[in-house]
Amino acid sequence: MSAPADSMSMRDALYETPGPKTKHRVLVGTIISSVAILAILALVMVRLYEQGQFSPKYWSFFGKWTTWRFLLEGFAGTMEVALMAGTIALVLGILFMLGRISKNRVVSTIFRVIINFFRGIPSLLLIYFFFLVLPGYGLKIPSFWMLALPISLTASGVLAEVFRAGVNAVPQGQVEAALSIGLTDGQVMRKIVLPQAIRYVIPSLISQLVVVVKDTSVAYVVSFPDILQNGRVLISNYDALVSVYFVVAVIYVLINYAINQASVYAARRSGTKIIARTEESPV
Amino acid sequence: MATPIIELRHVDKHFGQLHVLKDINFSVDKGEVVVVIGPSGSGKSTLCRTINRLETIDSGEITIDGSPLPQEGKDLAALRAEVGMVFQSFNLFAHKSILENVTLGPREVKHMPAAQAEAEAMKLLERVGVAEQAHKVPAQLSGGQQQRVAIARSLAMHPKAILFDEPTSALDPEMINEVLDVMTSLAKEGMTMVVVTHEMNFARRVSNRVVFMADGMILEENTPDEFFDNPQTDRAKEFLESIKGH
Repeated sequence: MSAPADSMSMRDALYETPGPKTKHRVLVGTIISSVAILAILALVMVRLYEQGQFSPKYWSFFGKWTTWRFLLEGFAGTMEVALMAGTIALVLGILFMLGRISKNRVVSTIFRVIINFFRGIPSLLLIYFFFLVLPGYGLKIPSFWMLALPISLTASGVLAEVFRAGVNAVPQGQVEAALSIGLTDGQVMRKIVLPQAIRYVIPSLISQLVVVVKDTSVAYVVSFPDILQNGRVLISNYDALVSVYFVVAVIYVLINYAINQASVYAARRSGTKIIARTEESPV
Repeated sequence: MATPIIELRHVDKHFGQLHVLKDINFSVDKGEVVVVIGPSGSGKSTLCRTINRLETIDSGEITIDGSPLPQEGKDLAALRAEVGMVFQSFNLFAHKSILENVTLGPREVKHMPAAQAEAEAMKLLERVGVAEQAHKVPAQLSGGQQQRVAIARSLAMHPKAILFDEPTSALDPEMINEVLDVMTSLAKEGMTMVVVTHEMNFARRVSNRVVFMADGMILEENTPDEFFDNPQTDRAKEFLESIKGH
């Protein structure tokens, strides 16, 4: 956590600086796999071309502003749901985590069950529940919420455990020091543990946001106009399956890339603030 | 005879099977500086930590300034505000500046207004010699500086007594003296102190009483000169032999 971001990525890749034989092996492997990947890509492009996927009728409508505007509306829909679901998940995640770590056995067991339930259930199932079961009880909610709520619930189960890992990572010594100056358990949590725990897990939180974005792609179930749904409309209008899905896929990947860049930025910023965890007791 | 500030009577504690505190009877009067020494595993840190209930006891009584040690809740927090503790690993709050580390207690526990808390904190930081570091974060300070901040943090609560759990054991030799100097000046001003340490010179010069522990028991208690010059028990003699010439 203490190393600057660039040396952290070096540490991801190798445990130690490679010697000459390893370097040679890496070079050979890189060349072979690059050639293989390029060959596969070339093959794919050739096959697509043979099937006429590059002909103008499948791509010309991307020249029209209306196409892009329609896609952007879908993008806005995706991001609205993702951000709302993400925000709710963050709040619920912290609340669930606090319940889970409660000293009261009953409370912690209840929250353990809740967390495991939401972690285990696929968001699609929950969406079906909101979509098919709730109206039967007279509960009519807008499709935006029928999508955002289930997604936020499943994400909150995951986030609760992420937060709990962060809380456990705060050095116990700081908790003892805080108690020893007379802070109550609540004050220790609010002033010492949570601020550090959250900063520790910001990268995990942001990558969970990526999962939330991908979860929104089942919006078609509730007929909510997200980017995939709008893509489908374009497909049926212009009868252009491959090209539209390709563009939508690129947009999803770009969203993911932007979120990852935000995570790197956030980690770097929080890294300099905390710098390093203070010397842990050797015992 | 005034009530002792800290009193332990027939205190026993086990860690699972391990009997770490065996019938401990220990008391500290106001203004006394008591040094607890002994081989590792003797239970001296555990003894220190039972006083502010960072460790619980199996049986026996602990009394602070006449009242029994609270078991939990607001009472316990209030007591801990009156008995400070300085840790071997400093345990400064990593996400807060030095100044914030010292003002946190007074502001949150004593509800002191920010300006007053900061003014008092700056005075304390000056007193321990780290005033210029006030706006840095702990990781930017050396070990000796961090420990002095930790002492200032305890002092900010105006405690009745301060517990020191091996305060210099994690420090480089050059930094040990700066911390011991602060502790010596505290002692001279009449602070009640319980110090678990291996620093024999400090014990000799500054303490009123030396308590020697081994295997969970208090084997000997005496004035520093008496203890170091005329150890009574064989265990104490062994121990002093082994650390000679360090």
